Amino acid sequence: MSQERHPIEGLPAYALGALDKEERAVIAAHIETCDTCAADLAQFEDALYEAAAIGAIDVEPPADLRRRIVLRHRGAAARTATGWGGRVPEFLRRPVPAAIPIALALLLIVAFGVIGATRQQADAYAHALAGVADGRVVALAPTGANPDARAAVVIPTQGSPYLIVRLPAPPAGKAWEAWVLKQGASGPVAVPAGTADRGDVFMLSLTAPLGAGDGVAITLEPASGSAQPTTQPVLAIEKT
Amino acid sequence: MPDKADDMRLIDRIASGDADALGELYDRYGRVAFGVLYRMLPGPEAAEEVAQDAFHSVWRQARSYRPERGSVRTWLLAICRNAAIDWRRTRGKRLEREVTIEAAAELLSDARVDERVVSAMRAERVRKMVGELPKEQRDVLALAFWGGYSQSEIAARTDTPLGTVKSRVRLAMNKLRESLEDER
Repeated sequence: MSQERHPIEGLPAYALGALDKEERAVIAAHIETCDTCAADLAQFEDALYEAAAIGAIDVEPPADLRRRIVLRHRGAAARTATGWGGRVPEFLRRPVPAAIPIALALLLIVAFGVIGATRQQADAYAHALAGVADGRVVALAPTGANPDARAAVVIPTQGSPYLIVRLPAPPAGKAWEAWVLKQGASGPVAVPAGTADRGDVFMLSLTAPLGAGDGVAITLEPASGSAQPTTQPVLAIEKT
Repeated sequence: MPDKADDMRLIDRIASGDADALGELYDRYGRVAFGVLYRMLPGPEAAEEVAQDAFHSVWRQARSYRPERGSVRTWLLAICRNAAIDWRRTRGKRLEREVTIEAAAELLSDARVDERVVSAMRAERVRKMVGELPKEQRDVLALAFWGGYSQSEIAARTDTPLGTVKSRVRLAMNKLRESLEDER
């Protein structure tokens, strides 16, 4: 047990989460070493969260919330899946950067073609993003095999959504293909949304409609494009 | 209502990497967790997002769960509440969707029970106690719990001396605790 004075007066407010940062830190440190206060705190919290359960809104959670929570953590099962339908959910469980609101840039500068060095590519990509005049920009997450890959969906206030992409040039006979991911009954369904046979920093218009909450992915496909993805995504986001 | 031993077995399974156990935990408490989040956040989309984050925290922290520090349900709801407060402090602030004093203050008294997730007798005792609290005490509880406000913030927002707010918090929390005293 701690030799300090027991912070009995502060425990109720600590349980309630109503202490300021400094006071909270003192009590948190004490509780780690004091079983008596820890037990008192447990009693306060037990009663408080009983009240919270009563006060919670009795509402049906979204039907697929449970499935998504479980799928996100079912690593072993997902890794053994052989189809793209199995790999996409696995990929999509990776942490994805949050949407980046871009509002103030004035110039629309989208860099195309070969630029050269990686630094220049990064700069070009950043400039392209900064050049989005209005709308929403949502970053896609790269896979471990392509950590330098970058892409973002731009959803302009007016006009069609498009991608700003930074990827190496695809091998001969291949192209980068974009997919809009619609939520199907048994997982994401990929809808072809345009191809690009160039590399470095480029723009790719989405040819499939992008609905609210749809995902986006990019895979490497034959230059003529595929009706369904045949490789793992190099970049993706579950929901835009 | 599931017993504590069942809950502990679930946490052990989650700690060992069993994703289905996480699903079973969701079956038990997902509804009340979602209900807490729904009440704290501006809409169902935010509640859904934070619920996923909260269950991910359960997944990561299952090994460190200590039963002597509270029930699994209390632990889960505390994780949810903290996640909701974090969300509001980051994205919520940008959306300017703070809980107003008036809205927060009525939350505890406007109580509904999901009988699937609370023991009816426990709930009745707590509900009765909350109902018997003076309005000032009920308000500080609600503002702190649902609104995520600190005692200092409540004092400033309600133009009440900080000492008075602290006193109300202590009295209200002690009475709440007393409502479950005969279980111990």
